[in-house]
Amino acid sequence: MTEALPQFTLVRPETLDDALIALQATPDAALSAGGTDLIVRLRKSLVGSDTLIDLTGIKAMNSIDPNENGLRIGAGVTLDQIEHSDLIAQTYPAVVKAAASVAGPSHRQVATLGGNLCLDTRCVYLNQSHWWRKANDFCLKYQGDTCHVAPKGNRCRAAFSGDLAPALLVHDAEVEIAGPTGFRREPLGDLYVEDGATHLTLEPGEILVAVNLPASIRTSDYEKIRVRKTVDFPLAGVAVACDTSQEPPRLWVAVTGTNSRPFLLDPPDDPMLSPADEAFFIALQKQVQKAVSPQRTTMIAPHYRRLSVAALAVRLARRIL
Amino acid sequence: MNKPAKTSLVGRPAPLVDGIEKVTGKAKFTGDLNTHDALVGRILRSPVSHGHILGIDTTHAEALDGVEAVITGKDCDKTYGVIPIAMNEYPMARDRVRYRGEPVAAVAARDAETAAKALDLIELDIEELTACYTPTESRAADAPRLHDNKPGNLEREVHHTFGSTTDGFVEADLIREETFDCAEINHAQMEPHAALAEYDAERDRLTLHSVTQVPFYVHLTLARCLDMDSSKIQVVKPFVGGGFGARTETLNFEIVTALLAHRTGGKVMMQLSREETFLTHRGRPNTQVKLKIGLAKTGKITAVDCEVLMSGGAYAGYGLVTILYAGALLQGLYDITNIKYDGYRVYTNHPPCGAMRGHGTVDVRHSFEAILDRMARDLNLDPFTVRRANLLQAPMFTSNGLMVNSYGLDECLDKVEHASDWAKRKGKLGKGHGLGMACSHYVSGAAKPVHWTGEPHAVVSMKLDFDGGITVFTGASDIGQGSSTVVALAAAEVIGIDLARIRIVANDSVVTPKDNGSYSSRVTFMVGNAAIEAARAMRAKLIDAAAELLDTDPDSVKCEGESFFVQGSSQSELGFHEVAIAALAKEGTINVKGTFTTPVEAQGGKHRGGAVGSTMGFSYAAQVVEVSVDEDTGQISVDQVWAALDCGFAINPLAVEGQIEGSVWMGMAQGLCEETNYLRGLPTHTNLTDYRFPTIEDSPPIDVQIVESIDPLGPFGAKEAGEGALSGFPPALANAVADAIGLDANFLPLTPDRVLEALIKLRRAKRRKEANT
Repeated sequence: MTEALPQFTLVRPETLDDALIALQATPDAALSAGGTDLIVRLRKSLVGSDTLIDLTGIKAMNSIDPNENGLRIGAGVTLDQIEHSDLIAQTYPAVVKAAASVAGPSHRQVATLGGNLCLDTRCVYLNQSHWWRKANDFCLKYQGDTCHVAPKGNRCRAAFSGDLAPALLVHDAEVEIAGPTGFRREPLGDLYVEDGATHLTLEPGEILVAVNLPASIRTSDYEKIRVRKTVDFPLAGVAVACDTSQEPPRLWVAVTGTNSRPFLLDPPDDPMLSPADEAFFIALQKQVQKAVSPQRTTMIAPHYRRLSVAALAVRLARRIL
Repeated sequence: MNKPAKTSLVGRPAPLVDGIEKVTGKAKFTGDLNTHDALVGRILRSPVSHGHILGIDTTHAEALDGVEAVITGKDCDKTYGVIPIAMNEYPMARDRVRYRGEPVAAVAARDAETAAKALDLIELDIEELTACYTPTESRAADAPRLHDNKPGNLEREVHHTFGSTTDGFVEADLIREETFDCAEINHAQMEPHAALAEYDAERDRLTLHSVTQVPFYVHLTLARCLDMDSSKIQVVKPFVGGGFGARTETLNFEIVTALLAHRTGGKVMMQLSREETFLTHRGRPNTQVKLKIGLAKTGKITAVDCEVLMSGGAYAGYGLVTILYAGALLQGLYDITNIKYDGYRVYTNHPPCGAMRGHGTVDVRHSFEAILDRMARDLNLDPFTVRRANLLQAPMFTSNGLMVNSYGLDECLDKVEHASDWAKRKGKLGKGHGLGMACSHYVSGAAKPVHWTGEPHAVVSMKLDFDGGITVFTGASDIGQGSSTVVALAAAEVIGIDLARIRIVANDSVVTPKDNGSYSSRVTFMVGNAAIEAARAMRAKLIDAAAELLDTDPDSVKCEGESFFVQGSSQSELGFHEVAIAALAKEGTINVKGTFTTPVEAQGGKHRGGAVGSTMGFSYAAQVVEVSVDEDTGQISVDQVWAALDCGFAINPLAVEGQIEGSVWMGMAQGLCEETNYLRGLPTHTNLTDYRFPTIEDSPPIDVQIVESIDPLGPFGAKEAGEGALSGFPPALANAVADAIGLDANFLPLTPDRVLEALIKLRRAKRRKEANT
C-alpha cells in the first residue's frame, strides 16, 4: 500500500466559468488535470488543501487550434496528444520532443500541457513522505523554515522540472490566463519567478487556460539529461531554436531543471562570432554554464548538471544550425 | 546421470504451471487476500539514526476511537535474525534505535486513516547519539559502539589463506592492485512487503500469510518471538511478486503483524508502502574491494590477495554469510592455488543489508574481472585468452574445499566469443563504442544450510488418490523463478505421465513438507532431486500394479505417455487409470516421499566458515556487452548483450532463458544506475522515481545461449540458472566502457555523473602527462 490518500472534496466543473467560481469559493483549492504528480503529492501529504478542482471536464481547454497568428494549445491537451500532433511537429519540433520525453507513455496519456507548465518544483528534501520530512524538520517550501539545500539562504531552491516550458520558450510562447476579472496574456517566461516555494506568478483565483504559439520559421530541438532513457524528470533540459533565414542565423536557448524556473538565456552576442566558427560554440557552452545555477536538489551533483546541460546546448545548436 | 532425450518432458520449453493465474490477474498475492474483518496494521519508525529510547507514550494513540492495539518494543523481548549465532535485532526497537526507519511501535486500527492518525499521536522520547554512516566513521577510534559486544563496530572479520601468495606473487610476471567502490543496492522487487496475520485466541493458534521466500524461517521466528509452540502456528506463502533475497530472512513487519494479531485476538493486514519496503532493506551492502592479482605472461593467475570491507547497516542479519561468500567465491571459477582473503563487515547506522541475488559475490567478481581485463591489456593478451589460461578441470576440489563436478565455462566462452564476433569487432568499433567481456559463477544451493539440523535438505511428498490425480506437496517457494514448474516437470517426467495430471500444492506449513526455502539457488538441485526420488517411489508402486495386471515382472514394465506396457511385447497397453485403480486397491491412497541430502564432501573445507560457498555444483557464465558512451554527458547506452550459461541441463529451457535474461538485466541495473543514497541516514531513494532501475528503453537485446555440462549429481544433470549470469555483467560493462573511451572505472554504478567526472580527471591527467613530456 502506498501512503493512504487523505480525504478530499472533488469539484468537477464542466465550464471554465464554473471552475473560476469554484476556485473563488475555495481559493486554496488544488487544480487537477492528469493528476500524475498531484496524486503522488497528495499521498505524501504535500498538498495543503482538501479541495481538488478537476479541470478535465472543461472541453474548451482540450483542443489544439491553428489560427491566423499561429497555434493555440489548450492547457488540458494531453502530452500524448502533443507528442502525436503533426500540426505541432511541423512547426514546433522541440515541443513534440519535449512532450515525448516526459515520464512514461501511460503518464502521458493523462498528463497535460497545463500540468507540466504548472508542475510544482522538486527537491530531494521535499518529495518525500510525511515521516521523512518530519524526521528532517520539514523545509522552507512546506511546513518548515529552513532550506536544507542552502541553509544560509532565505529562499527555496527547489528545481522546476517540467520539460515543455523550455521548448515553448524558444518559440516565444504566450500563456492565456483566466481569472476573476477576465483573461490576460503574457509571455510564458513571465509565468515564472526564481523562487522554489512560489515559482508561479498566477494570482489567487487564476487558471492557466492555453498556450499560444506564434507562426514560426524556426527549427528547434529539445534534449534532457537523465540517468535512464525514460521516466526520469530532467536533471537538466535544454531547448534550442534557430532562425537560419537571418544572417548570421539567430539562436534561442532555454533551460529547465537547473533553477527554480525555466528561462531563456542569451546566446553569445559577440558580433564577431559566427556559428560557422568553433569559437561560437565554445562561447555558447560557457554562456550556458554561467547562466544556470543547479543546486543540491537531487543526489546528482550540481556540477554535473551544469556541465552536461551546456554540452547538450552545444550539441543541439550544432544539429540545427 | 545420462542426459534425457529431448523428446521427453524435461529439456523442452514449458510455460510456468502458475503462469495463467499471473497473466490473467487471478493470482492472489498477500495484498489481495481477504481482509474482511481485518484491522489495518501500521508501523511507527524511528526518526533518528541512533539514540536511546527514553520513553514511548502511547496513551493518546490508544485513546483514539478505532484503535484496537498499540504495541512497542516492550511487547517483545526476543531477538531475531537469520543466523542463529547472530540474532541481535528486535522486531521493534527496545532501549536503542540504530537506523532511521527502524520500527519502534505499531498500531492496529479499523482503517488506514485511523492507523495513520494513531501513529502521529504516539510520542517518542529519544536521546540522540552520534551516528556512523560510513565504515570510516564506524571504525574511528572514538566512534560510538552500535552493539556493546562488538568493539570497533566490527560485526565479523574473516582471514583465509590457501597456498602461498608470497610465492605466487614472486612467480608473477605482472602484478596489479586496485581498489573498487561498489554502491549499496536494493532488490526493488515489484511487490511491496505485506503480511496478513490471524490469531485464534480460543485455540491459541496463529496463521500468517506473507511474502516470504523462506516460510520455514518465518515459522521458527514467530514461535520464538511470540513464545508459542511451533505446532500452533501456520505459515502460508501466497503468490509472491519477487524476492531476489529480500525475503530470505524473516522481516520485522512479519513479526509485528503477528504480534498485533495476537494482541487484538483477531486479524491484521499490514501492507508496507514502497518507502517502508525500502526501509526494511536487506540489499547488497556498499562494498570496498582492494584486490591484487599476479599473472604469468601466459595469463595464468599465480596469486590473488583480496581485502573486502562491507558496510552492513545496523544489525547482523545475514552479514557474516555475506562476508564469507565474498571470499569463498573468489574460487570455483578459475584455477587459483595461492589466495589470501581478508573480509570485514562493519556496522553502520543504516538499514541492515542482507542477501541479494548473487549473494556476497557480485562486487568482488566485478573487481576481479575488471582487473583481469586490464592485465590482459598490459600483457597484450586477448581477454578470452586470459580466462582460458585459468580454466578448471572437473571433477576437482578447489584449494578452499569447494567441490566442482561439472564445468562448462570453456563452452560458454566459445559461444559468446563466436556470437559477438569478438575477434573481428573488439577494439574496432570506433571511438565511443566498445565491447567488454567477463565470466561469473554461482552456487546451486548452500551445501550446508544456516539452520543445520541434520535433516535432509529437501523433502517432496506425493499423493495418488481415487481420482487418478497426482498431487505433489512441496515447501519450496515459487517466487516467480519457476520452482513449482521444475517440481511438476520432474515428477511427470519420472513417472511417465502427462504434466496436466500433476497438481502442485506448495507453501502451507500445515500441509506441505518443510523446505529450506528459495535462496542460494537451491531449489532446482535439491528439491528437483527430492521430487525425482518421490516420483520414482510413486512410479515403482504403479509399475508393480501394472506388472501384476500384465502378469510379468516389474523390471520389464515401461511407462511412457501414461501407457504401461511390456517392453518389446505386443501385449496390450494399460491406461493410467486402470493401473492406478489396481495400485490403490492394494493399499488405498498412496503417499510417497523423496528426500535429498548433500554428501559430506560437498559441504566445504574444514576451515572456520568453510561451509559458506560450498555447494553441489556451480553454474558458469560468460558474457559480452556492447556499449556506446556519450563523452559529453557521460551517458552509457548498452546496445547488445551475449550471454551463455552452463546450467548443467535445462529442465525447462524457457524458464532458464528467462532467468538468464533476468540475471543479465539485474546485473545491468547494478552496473548502470541502481544505488541507494542517504542524507544523514535518511534514505533518498525510497520510491521508483529515485531508485532508478532500468526501464525497457534502457534494455538491450540479450542473446542467450544455454550450455549443458550435465552435472553428475544434478537432477537430470541440472544446476542453478537464476544467479550465475548476474555478476558478469557489471565488469563486462566496465570493460566495454574501457574499450570505448579508454576509461578504467573503479566504481559502481557507472552513472553519467560519475563517468563524466572520471573522464574529466582522466583528461586532466593526460594533459599533465603531455605537459611533462
